[in-house]
Amino acid sequence: MPRALVRPLLLAAALAGAFFCGRFAVANAAAAEDALAGQLTPSATPGLLGPITSAGRKGWDCKPEHAAASASVHAAELPAAPDTR
Amino acid sequence: MRISVLATLIALLTTTAALSQTYPGAMPVPRTTSAPALADLAKQREVEERFRIGLAALSAANYKGAAAEFARVVAINPAEPKGSTARYDLAIAYANLQREDDAAAQLRAAIELDPGFLAAMANLVAVDLARGDFTEARSVADRFLALAPDSARALYARGIVALGTGDAATAREDFGKLLHSNPAYAVAHYDLAIAEERLGHMDAAERELRTALSLAPTYARAEFALGAVLLRQGRRSEARDAFVRTMQDASGDPALLNIAAAMRDSIAI
Repeated sequence: MPRALVRPLLLAAALAGAFFCGRFAVANAAAAEDALAGQLTPSATPGLLGPITSAGRKGWDCKPEHAAASASVHAAELPAAPDTR
Repeated sequence: MRISVLATLIALLTTTAALSQTYPGAMPVPRTTSAPALADLAKQREVEERFRIGLAALSAANYKGAAAEFARVVAINPAEPKGSTARYDLAIAYANLQREDDAAAQLRAAIELDPGFLAAMANLVAVDLARGDFTEARSVADRFLALAPDSARALYARGIVALGTGDAATAREDFGKLLHSNPAYAVAHYDLAIAEERLGHMDAAERELRTALSLAPTYARAEFALGAVLLRQGRRSEARDAFVRTMQDASGDPALLNIAAAMRDSIAI
């Protein structure tokens, strides 16, 4: 192959490579964003509040009813984050 | 000398009083010979006993035994508050036996007997989410919140239901209100971020996720969500770093670990 042709051919190959890599990168990014759809899920459903004695929810110190009414997340027995400071 | 004798005597009397047993007063004996009144007293006694046995069974995780006791109490149909309470406790037993439809039916009946029964509403929302009945979950959560507007559980429950049904605006409002009284609750910052992301507010979503991570540095789901938000903003290098950090923190969650690894590998820097 004449030497004069080598450089243009190499340049064309590099450009084609860059072009296709870019295409794949864009395709990958689009696929990544598609894969993300539906992956951002809400936190867990809170667990059930505990049982109540025969005195009923208005009985002395009914813990589940207090938990249901409380403004504090700790008293409400909501899910905890890992390693919460 | 006299003083020391007196002190010893007082000490002895105090010790004797402390060691002496106290006995409960005698149970009142039914003062009736009327057959219906005696039958009613026997039913009351049975209800009390079955509650006691049922609660012991629940605490021992014997859900089948507990269900049998509370089902019998429900069949006796005692007056309030025992009627709604027996149904509430029966629902807990059913939910643990994976009989979610039966649990929901008992909780509905409990709320019908006692329309202000917040704990029953809280549990019905949880059971409905497990059953996939988002329509009833939303309706009960709305009622729960109307009765207890400051309740952390009501706000959280409706926020989760709203996110599950595509109502990001309500979720944003509920988690925002929950954070107003509980600003250090990382989970609510995460859920608020999900709502903001769905509303297209990427800056707000990023801010909430960074707050969640400052409160709970190994919160892998928050780190993953941050990666997703950064990716949507075109900040690929930062997104990739977030997915790498997710992989470090998600050792207990193989599904999250896999998706984070796939995301990291898909991002060409």
